[in-house]
Amino acid sequence: MEEQIISGDFSQASKPIIEFRGVSKTYPGGTHALEDINIKINYGEFVFVVGSSGAGKSTFMKLIMREEKANTGIINVNGFNLTKMKRKQVPMLRRTMGIVFQDFRLIPTMTVFQNVAFAMYVVGATGRDVRREVTKALSKVGLGDKARSMPNQLSGGEQQRVGLARALVNHPDLIIADEPTGNVDPNMSYEIVNMLTEINKQGTTVLMVTHDHNLVRDFQHRVIMLDGGKIIADNAGGDLQ
Amino acid sequence: MNLGSVKYLTGEGVKSAWVNRLMSLASIGVLVACMVIIGLAILISENVAKAIGALEQQNVVMAYMKDYNWALYSEENQADDTASGNSSENTSSDSTDKSDAADKNGIKPSDYIIHNEEEAKALCKEIEKLDNVAEVTFVSSEEGLDNVKSSMLEGQEKYFTFLDEEYGNPMSCAAKVKMKDMAYFDETVKQIEGLEGIDVIQSQDDLAEKINAIKNGIGVAGIWIIAILMVISLVIVSNTIRVTMYNRKLDISIMKAVGATDAFVRIPFVVEGVIIGLISAVIAEGLLYFCYRVATETLKSTLGTTDIVKYGDMAWLLLLVFVGIGIFAGVLGSVIMISKYLRKEGSEFAAI
Repeated sequence: MEEQIISGDFSQASKPIIEFRGVSKTYPGGTHALEDINIKINYGEFVFVVGSSGAGKSTFMKLIMREEKANTGIINVNGFNLTKMKRKQVPMLRRTMGIVFQDFRLIPTMTVFQNVAFAMYVVGATGRDVRREVTKALSKVGLGDKARSMPNQLSGGEQQRVGLARALVNHPDLIIADEPTGNVDPNMSYEIVNMLTEINKQGTTVLMVTHDHNLVRDFQHRVIMLDGGKIIADNAGGDLQ
Repeated sequence: MNLGSVKYLTGEGVKSAWVNRLMSLASIGVLVACMVIIGLAILISENVAKAIGALEQQNVVMAYMKDYNWALYSEENQADDTASGNSSENTSSDSTDKSDAADKNGIKPSDYIIHNEEEAKALCKEIEKLDNVAEVTFVSSEEGLDNVKSSMLEGQEKYFTFLDEEYGNPMSCAAKVKMKDMAYFDETVKQIEGLEGIDVIQSQDDLAEKINAIKNGIGVAGIWIIAILMVISLVIVSNTIRVTMYNRKLDISIMKAVGATDAFVRIPFVVEGVIIGLISAVIAEGLLYFCYRVATETLKSTLGTTDIVKYGDMAWLLLLVFVGIGIFAGVLGSVIMISKYLRKEGSEFAAI
């Protein structure tokens, strides 16, 4: 964990970007998704979230993105108190994070450039800024020459890199990656996590959900393991035990 | 929101309307039908109003005055057989010169307000000053008698002529009053009755009531027709937007994930709704013009009616109404649908 703090945002390294205090979530049907979660993730950390299906990973991430509200407890994300947050403030929270989806979620009728630019237009960026930032983001993920390609002309790995560029283009403080390697081949998986590690080294906090134990072991980041709605392990250095 | 975003969102709205052109066409078809029916209701109501206006002009009240000459006529009848056939004319000029002494029947000139035509015309001017009075025509006792005679069936008139020649003119001076609005008929009649010099008022108040009933009926029916068709328009536009929304589910989920506000997400859908509404308005205007022209030409050639409202006089109003309906249905229909979606399903942007 120390390693991530050193490589992250030095000014805020000791401050939590995500903090859960006594958080529980029960769905209307009576399913207890999370029970009494207490956790802190500091600025600049790279954290893997692992666990089997139904362990509570989805709910954990949804609570961070304020897609769901906790029944009890307090959640703070990047200075926002999610427990007291009103619906109309949610977009402001989400502008501080970039989300990478497992299924890429690229708009098939838009070019690579347009897919990334879309994320900027949505938050009201101007044309000149859009051109500059999209070009930079695509170069960062190694797709500078594919700007005019359509998503269906790209491999799975390339499509996920477009998704990564889209998540990065608004300079978020936090990247939330939902199994970003779930639909790509093993080589590309390593390449994507390498990119996320590079991004993390520049100060962005990364929270990545994965099932791939090899990645967790090889990249030696902090690991939060969930099971039955509880945190059963929180270890630095890729230790899954 | 900057110009780039506005351009982008407007473009998305236009693109959506085109991509879903079949649904858009279906919506336009139904909206046009609704607008044409609303337009027809307006045109029919205008034509009925025009016809009623003409009818109203015929619906006048006769305000008979407290005419001293009429009293003299009565007196002469009772006095003796010394006929004074030209009583009205002669007495009109003489009456003011008479002293106020009561005659043998106790009738004094001061008991009556109107003694000559000048005074009668002055009273007409007083009536004219009332708010709801459109026009006042002075009717002298001679004219009054002529009118009565001319309204009689052939053969009956001779009895009146007999009376006329034998006993003089039995009619008093009167004011023929046309009203501006028949809805205030009763109030206006009371106001006229309240004026000094008015003896009795003769009116066809049942016709006034019927006219008002027709007018109100048309008004109420029109409001209902418009209200029902507005609801239909809203439902139709909402459904089209709903289809677009599900087609753009992916776009919406990404928008929400990167922090777009609900207002921002709504804009392309509102643009699409407004485009559908505006296209419908233009088509409805053209179609209604064509239908109305055919209908009026047919009416003119078959019934010889010429007193029909011209489309040109109503064209701008109708276009304004159609554009208003189009924008209203487009904006509200899309806002309702997208808001519902964003509240329930739209937040599910991440399939984690």
